[in-house]
Amino acid sequence: MSSFDLYTLSPLIVLCSAPVLVMLAIAVRRSHETSVAITLASLGLAFVLVRQLGAEAPRQITPLIVIDRFALFYMALIIAAAFVVAVQGYGYLKRRHVQPDEFYILLLIATAGAAAMAASTHFASFYLGLECLSVSLYVMIGYLRESPRSAEAGLKYLILAAASAAFLLFGMALVYAQLGILDFAGLAHAKATQTGSDMIVVLGFVMMLVAVGFKLSVVPFHMWTPDVYEGAPAPVTGFVATVSKASVFALLLRYFSAMDPHLYRPVYVAVALTAVLSMLAGNLLALRQDNVKRILAYSSIAHLGYVLVAYLAGGPAAIQAVSYYLVAYFVTTLGAFGVVGTLSTRGEHREMDSIDDYRGLFWTRPWLATAFTVMLLSLAGIPLTAGFIAKFSVMSAGVGADLARLVIVLALTSIIGLFYYLRIVAVMCARPAQSTAPVGAYVPEEKASRSGALVLFALTVTLVWIGVFPAPLIGILKTLTLGAH
Amino acid sequence: MDYFFVLMLAGMSAAMVAGGLAFSFLIAPHRPGAIKNSPYECGEPPIGQAWVQFNVGYYLFGLLFLVFDVEAAFLYPWAVAFHGLGFMAFLEMGIFLLVLILGLAYAWKKGALEWV
Repeated sequence: MSSFDLYTLSPLIVLCSAPVLVMLAIAVRRSHETSVAITLASLGLAFVLVRQLGAEAPRQITPLIVIDRFALFYMALIIAAAFVVAVQGYGYLKRRHVQPDEFYILLLIATAGAAAMAASTHFASFYLGLECLSVSLYVMIGYLRESPRSAEAGLKYLILAAASAAFLLFGMALVYAQLGILDFAGLAHAKATQTGSDMIVVLGFVMMLVAVGFKLSVVPFHMWTPDVYEGAPAPVTGFVATVSKASVFALLLRYFSAMDPHLYRPVYVAVALTAVLSMLAGNLLALRQDNVKRILAYSSIAHLGYVLVAYLAGGPAAIQAVSYYLVAYFVTTLGAFGVVGTLSTRGEHREMDSIDDYRGLFWTRPWLATAFTVMLLSLAGIPLTAGFIAKFSVMSAGVGADLARLVIVLALTSIIGLFYYLRIVAVMCARPAQSTAPVGAYVPEEKASRSGALVLFALTVTLVWIGVFPAPLIGILKTLTLGAH
Repeated sequence: MDYFFVLMLAGMSAAMVAGGLAFSFLIAPHRPGAIKNSPYECGEPPIGQAWVQFNVGYYLFGLLFLVFDVEAAFLYPWAVAFHGLGFMAFLEMGIFLLVLILGLAYAWKKGALEWV
């Protein structure tokens, strides 16, 4: 390994040494502000390094990791999301009686794992990245350990993620037993005649898909999603909904672009079926929820279904459509959970997540309500927001690849989705009930912490910006290429 | 076909377990009594509930032990292959150990080594 390789790996090295640094800082003197400062500084440094490396890509470093423009783009997305979560977490944890510092260690480790997954070209780096991410998430989800719901969510995620990791490992083992290959490029070169008909290899791939499906929380592996989203602290929910899913999706794009999915007909059909079921179940189940976090959980299931449609289109169009959709999804989801977290100022055991807590929010906290409305409209895919362009590009990718039936399901289920997003908006517009004092916050002196409000503002602006002027982002996405050519 | 024997083995082991249970159920005499049904037939009747809080302080020591146990598992193969690996491997192991030692320093500072 040359020193240039080390330079190419520098964002990952920064992300891996940052948690050690925070740990050391805590050992010397425990201070919330110091921990946040180190976290934000190292995330910023990693982001700058990722930008710098754009000129050096693509570069394969050991069989495990490739730094190409695709990997760099997803690393940048993940690091930016972690930055937002760190800022939101600062405001959120400041108001709670927990030791906040370890949160940032876990956040950084999870970010490093997710970034490693985006760049992995080998089963070993894939699995290591996934475990770094998952193990940190168990603790982050259960971080408010005084709250029974948070602890329950953490335990639930631990058990199900461990089970899905077992599926993943067994699938990898089956593929390795038959083909003797662990790297993605090698799998692509293994002749279709050799692998396509081999039941054990197909079984291995299907088992890996189970684990991936769990991480993406698509139907039928979605059962954990609402409970975990509801129980986890709001910033962590945002992190689970975005970073953990996007890193798996980046890997999925890299992995299955390496080999033609049409050769594995059963796998292809299974993914298509999963997409349809996710769109239907996510949107229909969200209709019956009275908890904003649960609504967002079911909506995220549906959104992953939409992304899968673009993914099935295959080719460069799929990479662009999926990446655009994920950027829009990142901004909206982080923003929406940021609003929930900002509102949850009081009470150790309860967040402001019941839909009744939002009644009349426009009259009490107009700015927050406006930001939340923009997020919801973008999730619904209303024009002038990023969500519209995202959904449009997914649909055009689907139509281009002759996936008419999937696109029809997408369009119909999106209309269902419109209903529950607008329901929240309607509740926020309603006049606040005068007789009963609202349950949650909106006591004037408990203002949202300024940093959290600033991040929310930035997210809202970004959302409208890339919705109105999508060209620069699409220009970047066009340059995303896979692998070291 | 190679896997047929695995299947056969699985079937045979399942049959043996199920057969043993079924056989003892069929031939064993079944005469319950007040004393036989009491918990711990040969011990003391329980006092109070088992759902009480008890100190699990030792788990921290267990965790710390595990960390350094795993470290030893990595050190052995590294030491055996040391001559062929070169300076880079030395550096990498140094970083690995440094992270673990910093972790110990953190745990120490946090008071994980105090018995409470």
